[in-house]
Amino acid sequence: MNILRKFLVILAGASLSCAACAADIKIGVAEALTGGAAQYGIPNRNGFQLAADEINAKGGVNGNRLQLVVEDEQGKKEEAINVFKKLIFQDKVLIIFGPTLSNSMFAAGPVANAAKTVAFGTSNTANGITDIGPYIFRNSVMESDVLPITIATAVKHYRIKKVAVIYGNDDAFTKSGYDVFKKVLEEQKIPVTTTETYVKGDVDFKAQLTKIKGGNPDAVVCSCLAEEAANIMLQARGLGIKVPFVGGNGFNSPKLFEISKLAGEGTFVGSPWANNNPAPANQHFVAAYKQKFGSEPNQFAAQAYDALNIAAAALQTLKLSGNLEADRQALRDALPRVSINGATGPFKFRPAAGKDGKPAGFDAEQKPFIYIVQGGKFTLYAGK
Amino acid sequence: MEGFADFWATYSTLIFTVGIHALLAFSIWLTLACGLLSLANAAFMGIGAYTAALLTLQLNWPFPVVLAAGSMAPAVVALAIGVPTLRLSGVYLCMATLAFGEVSRVVILNLDITGGPEGLNGIPLTTQWWHIALILALVGYGLARLRRSRVGRAFEAIKEDEVAARLMGIDVDRHKLFAFTLGAVIAGLAGALNAHYTFFISPREYGFENAVDILTMTVLGGISSLIGPLLGATILTLLPELLRFLHSYRLAVNGVILVLVVLFLPTGLWDGRRIRAWFERRGGGR
Amino acid sequence: MLEQQLLNGLTLGSVYALFALGFTLIFGVLAVINLSHGAVFMVGSYAALFVVTHFAAPLWLGLIAAMLVSGFIGLGVDVLILKPLRARNAPHLIPMIATIGVTIILTNAIQGLFGVEVQRFPEEVLPAADFVVGEVHVRALEIGIVAIAFLLMALLFFALKKTQLGRALRAIAESPKTAALLGIDVEGLFHLTSFAAAALGGVAGVLIGLDFNAITPFMGQPILLKGVAVIVLGGMGDIRGALIGGLFLGFAEVFSKGYISSQIGDAVAFGLLFLILLIRPSGLFGRVLERKG
Repeated sequence: MNILRKFLVILAGASLSCAACAADIKIGVAEALTGGAAQYGIPNRNGFQLAADEINAKGGVNGNRLQLVVEDEQGKKEEAINVFKKLIFQDKVLIIFGPTLSNSMFAAGPVANAAKTVAFGTSNTANGITDIGPYIFRNSVMESDVLPITIATAVKHYRIKKVAVIYGNDDAFTKSGYDVFKKVLEEQKIPVTTTETYVKGDVDFKAQLTKIKGGNPDAVVCSCLAEEAANIMLQARGLGIKVPFVGGNGFNSPKLFEISKLAGEGTFVGSPWANNNPAPANQHFVAAYKQKFGSEPNQFAAQAYDALNIAAAALQTLKLSGNLEADRQALRDALPRVSINGATGPFKFRPAAGKDGKPAGFDAEQKPFIYIVQGGKFTLYAGK
Repeated sequence: MEGFADFWATYSTLIFTVGIHALLAFSIWLTLACGLLSLANAAFMGIGAYTAALLTLQLNWPFPVVLAAGSMAPAVVALAIGVPTLRLSGVYLCMATLAFGEVSRVVILNLDITGGPEGLNGIPLTTQWWHIALILALVGYGLARLRRSRVGRAFEAIKEDEVAARLMGIDVDRHKLFAFTLGAVIAGLAGALNAHYTFFISPREYGFENAVDILTMTVLGGISSLIGPLLGATILTLLPELLRFLHSYRLAVNGVILVLVVLFLPTGLWDGRRIRAWFERRGGGR
Repeated sequence: MLEQQLLNGLTLGSVYALFALGFTLIFGVLAVINLSHGAVFMVGSYAALFVVTHFAAPLWLGLIAAMLVSGFIGLGVDVLILKPLRARNAPHLIPMIATIGVTIILTNAIQGLFGVEVQRFPEEVLPAADFVVGEVHVRALEIGIVAIAFLLMALLFFALKKTQLGRALRAIAESPKTAALLGIDVEGLFHLTSFAAAALGGVAGVLIGLDFNAITPFMGQPILLKGVAVIVLGGMGDIRGALIGGLFLGFAEVFSKGYISSQIGDAVAFGLLFLILLIRPSGLFGRVLERKG
């Protein structure tokens, strides 16, 4: 009996002291790791991984290690819901990053919101995402913040009088980008010669481009993902279209130039991130990413990396009580106050307006940089 | 009790999805029972989902009415296209339904009212577990009764040999249209229910791949009895969850299962006759 | 602009025709709609890519690799799956479902092996020339695809009409049982056809992967659906039908996008398919499906 009591005392002592010692902070990551959306989901996951590993190497947040619980939501809405539920109720994470697609966030976000757990999207750009509720955050800059500046800059530089527009009409990202472009062009009083569309997976744009060529625009505005954008530019040049392109958020990927080489010369793109932005925070990120994953990072990886650092900064200000609900709420309340200087530049949150006065979440407040493509690279645009 | 609450919180959506897939499998079962291979049921599901979601979002109608509308809208469309297409047989019918499915998807994609590719979001969470359970039970019961009725026997005859059935005096066209339309009703109902627990719908969920998924579940389970579709839907919905560790290869497993079932268990996993025969052999062999 | 659009229709149509040739061949001889044709098309592209990037091989070696890899997959599908189903006299929807399973397996296997990122052939292997005639621009590769599509169709058509092998295949297409009675090695020719058709699909995959500068595990899907439309339009099982149907679809799509609205472009193929099925299911050149034993 004596030995048993001693043993119990030691055990009790050990568990008590462990309550004070480092507890892992569980962070949920729900991204599309398979399926069509994986080309965004995987860089997202990589960005989170890189940031978490760096933080843990420095001793974690307040001595606590970050533990990423990564699940594949396949880019499907039901999977996103299932994964969110698993992370929230089974793995009991403090916060969830993701999902990859805006569509998935529309489906799964309400679940997180109802469970009072922050869902932090890094690649969701659709309108209305943060209207889902006060627990929805995103650091992906909305097109409506970027495109007006991009267009104005391009118009001034090239003295553009009229444009043609082409966009992918079966993808929420490119379609909502188009909606913004349309509004901006109207506001800036630039007539559109013709508006053409394509669908995802389309690889032949010659019919649309021939029509565009016939209208003689001064520039071609594209709301396209990098893959299609590159092919559109190549095919446009192949058809003899010489005017420059103006791109939305989707252009921002090193892939664009891998594919289109010099076809993209003179393209204007606005974005919070470019891989040769000389800011030290970015250069560090780019080098670290290349070293860890053996490939160039893209905008998705950069935003994910920053997002995790934002959350870590918020966690830094907290003392975790161990009560899951309280901690999740505390994290949610601490996030809006965070501002960092990340790979995507200076960042802070901005509360979303909300629909019909209902409480809403937080969007990104970031100034885009305008880049012009020169020598097959994004170059910061100097002219004003 | 907390264990169950946690389990339910985590897996309720998954279980709902099993129920919805079972309904969809029933809808394909119905058409297959009549000898029709239709790939249109995913599109019918979409029409039902959009009708229901729009009525809820724009007009705020009560849920039962919305469900009813969601099941009637695809029926109207089914009647409209059924009359000309059901004259086609076998492979041609299959392709016509495939074409119809794709055209509907593009139409939904391009209409403003459906939100285009951005879909409809913010659909309120109105579906409860008992809605799905009740509807599934009613549909299952209804189909079981149908099977044993004269209509069901007519389906069987048409499936076996359409020419002979016609000679026997069965109104083949009317029966085929009935099966096709009723299948559309069930699929539409499934779509309406699904829209109201996933908050969001978009055209991408009702395309060719989804039609193939539903077909796979039904073929896997077997069509000789109603248990087949239930079984197939349950297995193919839950299996990827269990196989998460396989990463990209877990979907390949579905493909392997499909091929193996087609090759070795052509009547599907659940075939009443084969199971009875197996038991008899075991008993007799002693 | 009209001339350019005509050329665009020609090149797009040839792409579709190239894919449809193998697809329709299988249907004609084996009476099976092999829905794994899109997947072997995609695998062929990856096979060529692998050879060209890992062994720094020239393009023609990549093409041979594509033919072999796709061909053997097609052969495998026939031997392992279609043959037992034939022996069992399964209704022809069943093999179709089985080939759907094969597509799922291949697509996900390639995804697992190569990832989902879009890949492309290294620049060195791309034929670079561009031609401009008046206002019309065309790339050497596109001319190549048009030429190959026509050439292959002519070769296949000639082979089927004039050679012994071709006659045997046509006999099987009419009635396998009679052909067997005539001493034709039906099973052997089924295997050969599966291999050849899949090899054709693989070649199409390489050419299209080159032309459009994009190789993904999912590239077979959209073209498979278009392929279905093409073979129904042209008449299932008919070689000329594959070419004519492909060209018809190519022109229809380009002109709808160019002169009506690019938004309906995708629906054109399926709208046409639906219409043809209602009006003339056998298509332009086809015969009705029912086969005599």
